[in-house]
Amino acid sequence: MGRQILHRLLISIPALVGVLFLCFCLLQVVPADPAMIIAGPEAKAETIAAIRLELGLDRPIPLQFIDYIGRVLQGDLGRSIISNKMVSEELTHTIGPTVELMLGAMVMAVPCGLALGTLAAVKRGSVVDRIIMAFSVAGVSMPVFFIGLILIQYVGFKWALLPFTGRTGPIWDGGLPSLILPALTLGSVLIGPIARLTRTAVLEVLGADFVRTARAKGLRETVVIVHHALRNALIPVVTLIGLQAAFLLGGAVVTETMFAWPGVGRLAVGAIVSSDFPTAQGAIMILAVAFLMINLIVDVLYVYLDPRVQRG
Amino acid sequence: MTVQTVDSPSAPTVPTESALPGRAGLLRRLARDKVAFAASVVLSATVLAAIFAPWVAPYDPYYTDLAKAMQPPSAEHWFGTDNTGRDILSRVIFGARNTLLLGLIGVILGGVLGGALGILAAFYRRLDGWIMRLVDIMLAFPAILIGLAVAAIFGAGLTAVIVALVVATIPDVARVARGAAVGVMGQEFMEAGRAVGVSDTTLIWRYLTLNCISTIFVFLTLRFGQIILIGSALGFLGMGAQPPTAELGMMAAQGRDFLFMAPHIATIPSLAIFIIVLAANLLGDALRDVLDPRLQQ
Repeated sequence: MGRQILHRLLISIPALVGVLFLCFCLLQVVPADPAMIIAGPEAKAETIAAIRLELGLDRPIPLQFIDYIGRVLQGDLGRSIISNKMVSEELTHTIGPTVELMLGAMVMAVPCGLALGTLAAVKRGSVVDRIIMAFSVAGVSMPVFFIGLILIQYVGFKWALLPFTGRTGPIWDGGLPSLILPALTLGSVLIGPIARLTRTAVLEVLGADFVRTARAKGLRETVVIVHHALRNALIPVVTLIGLQAAFLLGGAVVTETMFAWPGVGRLAVGAIVSSDFPTAQGAIMILAVAFLMINLIVDVLYVYLDPRVQRG
Repeated sequence: MTVQTVDSPSAPTVPTESALPGRAGLLRRLARDKVAFAASVVLSATVLAAIFAPWVAPYDPYYTDLAKAMQPPSAEHWFGTDNTGRDILSRVIFGARNTLLLGLIGVILGGVLGGALGILAAFYRRLDGWIMRLVDIMLAFPAILIGLAVAAIFGAGLTAVIVALVVATIPDVARVARGAAVGVMGQEFMEAGRAVGVSDTTLIWRYLTLNCISTIFVFLTLRFGQIILIGSALGFLGMGAQPPTAELGMMAAQGRDFLFMAPHIATIPSLAIFIIVLAANLLGDALRDVLDPRLQQ
């Protein structure tokens, strides 16, 4: 198992370098010269030249890239052009809320999706099955912001049940109410795909010999379904959840923007709108690295859930 | 003599060929599926309305009339008016035009590039590792992030959205195409073609690509809905079409500011996206069941 994980780690290195390179390009290709932006509109040529020298902008591009990797490894992502704060500092403030939001969405979506999918599989062909499947197709086709708009309008505004702008604090410090609506919005897009795949996987497993054996042994139906069927059906579902992480990160950007949630996605969008390239580059890099890491974790979980992968 | 039999039109016979019904059979089978039928009616109506938008739309989508701002739906304005008094029905029709066009460009460009990568990876084993690693790196960037990055470099606009949608389409299509192409590579007629000295170009085009195209096509119809969702999300974030251009995602974002006074400004464009994507997904599912059941997970 250790070798497997190590191998997977090694494979993700080129992807990581790719991500870094794209982010580096983002700093290179920008239409404006960072030195001129920092120096301001009325700066003298010497000042700009001095800043260029200080930033290492006069060096060849490949060397600058190596410099850049070195700085990133040290956690130095430059300074925001707008607020003049360290980008790394802005990121440490925003990562927490984003992780919280994504975990919140998962906590809402995964059990719901698993339960609905299993229920649909067990009641295959019934009205319940059809309703669940119809809902999951609808869920897959729903723009994230549509669900958000409806929740904000009704739950947040008309019925005034829950807050819908900003984040009052961490969950353990009374922040739970403000998390519910954004997490529900983001999680709702996940329920459909999970339910759909769980249904297929459980159906497949229910026809397997070992399920018949379990039933023949006289095990209770709940035990058969939860322990034998669902556990084996989980393998493709876990992969799906990992693949959906891309979607979830994208959805997080939209959700954060809608609910004024102080996360990395909102930071990235705000930075792009105000042409704050160092911040945008840092935020985009963190999001991409997070995505790589989620995929890595999913692969490791996959090995754990399906010991056959190890031997293969 | 053998050369002729191999080069004859019957050469590209893969197992799926026999399962493929003729065009009439396909349409009939789709029509029998009520859901798929309804979905195709909705989708065709939307596409037709989008194509003929200037003739179908009751009003000029850019004509502002502040005296009529934020009216709820009525007989005069079926979907009401927005914050500057523009007719929302007309804007939704023009918006659907832009949204569908973005999705189509993304899927077609991404499908061609991804398909080519996948088929080349299957045909030239030497390239396989490199191409698939490239695809993995592309997968490392969620589409919305690509859109944000491109918008950061070149400024928000349709280019950013198209690049994001193309990059979002390529890796998955490349994987599906490679899978299908590897299957075809194992067929005897490929070996036969090579044995009689058919050139690589012909092998790739006439033997390999033609046999993979239906799989790629079905996969693309399945992806179309998701691509539209990504495109409209970028529009919603303000990275896509800029005002006053009508684009459904951006219209929803603009309506958000008036959500509590006039909720229809934001909800109607969102609902339009939902209906288009739902119809596309349902039709894609039905097409897959009929054309290529192997793609079913």
